[in-house]
Amino acid sequence: MLTDARTLPDGTGFSPDLAIIGGGPAGIALALQLADGKRDILLISAGGMEFDRAVQDLYAGQASEYVPLEAGRLRYLGGGTNHWGGWCRPLDPQDFEARDWVPHSGWPFTRKALEPYYPKAQQLVEAGPWLYDQGGTARASAHSAVLPLGDGGLYTSWFQFSKTRGGVLPTPFGLRYAEDLKRAPGLNLLHDANVTAIRLASDAKRVTRLDVATLNGRRIAVTPRVTVLAAGGMENARLLLASNDVMTAGIGNQNDLVGRFFGDNPTPRDVATLVLFGGRPGPFYSSNLNMGDGAILRAVFAVSAGFARKSRCLGSLTTLEHPVEVDAAGKAAVATTAAALGVNAAGARAYSLGCGLELIPDPDRRLVLTGEKDALGMPRLKLNMHIADRDFALYRHTLVELGRQFLAAGVGMLRINKHSRADWMATMDWGHHHIGTTRMGGDPKTSVVDANLRVHGLGNLFVTGSSTFPTYGASNPTLNLIAVTLRLGDHLKTVLP
Amino acid sequence: MRRRVLLAGAGLAALAAGAGIYRFTDVIVKHYPPTPYDDLLGKLADRDTARIIGARLSVEPDHAAARLREAVAGQSLARAAQADIAAGRLSEVAGWLLPESVALLAALAARS
Repeated sequence: MLTDARTLPDGTGFSPDLAIIGGGPAGIALALQLADGKRDILLISAGGMEFDRAVQDLYAGQASEYVPLEAGRLRYLGGGTNHWGGWCRPLDPQDFEARDWVPHSGWPFTRKALEPYYPKAQQLVEAGPWLYDQGGTARASAHSAVLPLGDGGLYTSWFQFSKTRGGVLPTPFGLRYAEDLKRAPGLNLLHDANVTAIRLASDAKRVTRLDVATLNGRRIAVTPRVTVLAAGGMENARLLLASNDVMTAGIGNQNDLVGRFFGDNPTPRDVATLVLFGGRPGPFYSSNLNMGDGAILRAVFAVSAGFARKSRCLGSLTTLEHPVEVDAAGKAAVATTAAALGVNAAGARAYSLGCGLELIPDPDRRLVLTGEKDALGMPRLKLNMHIADRDFALYRHTLVELGRQFLAAGVGMLRINKHSRADWMATMDWGHHHIGTTRMGGDPKTSVVDANLRVHGLGNLFVTGSSTFPTYGASNPTLNLIAVTLRLGDHLKTVLP
Repeated sequence: MRRRVLLAGAGLAALAAGAGIYRFTDVIVKHYPPTPYDDLLGKLADRDTARIIGARLSVEPDHAAARLREAVAGQSLARAAQADIAAGRLSEVAGWLLPESVALLAALAARS
């Protein structure tokens, strides 16, 4: 069932078994998983079925060293999947580990705990058969040669892509699953409904009510047995911090952790130039190649666990982008090196390299509430974003290793294009992946939610999405946050049988 | 007198022919003025091209030559370069990552 909150009488109440706050991929995946008629579910989506400027403005805030806060998000059904690029790749096992060179690292479970949920997540994002590192190279090799890399710290890995429909973007969850949501037994999708506060019992042990408001002035009260907050990496923190009438620092924020450790995958452009002595590589290096069976592949260069451990670097995925020209010094470097190696470089071609990076967890990279209010009276956010020089230095080290491996294989050589912080920032772009602001962990002193994504100390409030990732590698989060959410769904089946 | 003139003329003609042949073969094998590093520079396929990138690396020639003689002793430049790559001995020259021995050789060419 679909309900437009703006059409309800003021003061309407709902008492579902489960309230899910957020109509993005996490909220939709969870609602579809649990809507089997055994429990009443209210999926509360802040936006409507399409973009609305006034609704979108509720996201506006302040940011330093970052894009405007409303730029990387979309506040209508489907959330970020209304403008995502469809890039999918599971997190690597090392992304879950406590790494002694990465402060604040380590998930409360390993990747094995997510593996049962990846197939369903892959199905929901419509990325075709599961290939990635298990089958990507074999499938791509049948089409064109995969570039050999010498032994070393990086290996050829694979992204897969959510299905596109003609010129339409990859699976937009709202559009794609609206009919399924409408038909799902026991599920009510309440749209254009903004949760403005999570109310707690006076002992701060349980959620008692959700305050919901619409932009046309309706007030709605929701009294669920269980609540899941799935509103995205920024709004999850905002709502917890703003709900401060009982827990004065904000819900789950007794240790001043909510909103901290904000992460993203920076994607600086043109980080290096790769010259391939033999010329043009397979088409899956610089564009997404449709394999014809639902799988769309793109090659990337990923860091092995062994190299990360040895060189104490972080996750990164390096992509080959587009052809470029090299200057006279570059041509001389290529000719001299190729001749020295005894390689013919007469047909050499140069390509720009891009990347996606993991950042060192930093508690000072932080979302806080400001005194400015939005149209519903909610405090707006301010983000203090910062990339440490060490983040750049670690990735630069990775690029040197990639260059070494191309030389070792005799297939190419690499120029690093970034020499200073200003160089990196000049071509900086972002994944718009909002991560880490309600981190999970076993210790309530260092985390906001436990391994089952329940807010420490609260019996009936859960948080899901990439905001719960303590560390996050360089893989895009959508596939992974859906897997995490489906795992939560299985747990909720035991809480709400 | 006439005989001496003839001999001198023949000598000059021989010199001119020799110079011509020398310049002509320059097209095939370029001739450079002798340097203390010819044993090393001879390993470069194209010294003029190497100079372009080598000029971007700051080295002290005698020190570079000593390091290179050690690196290429008894082996080809290709083998020395592969040994550098395997050991992670790369030099960054104008951003380009070159095997150290290739980079030093190019730098030496630029200073010879």
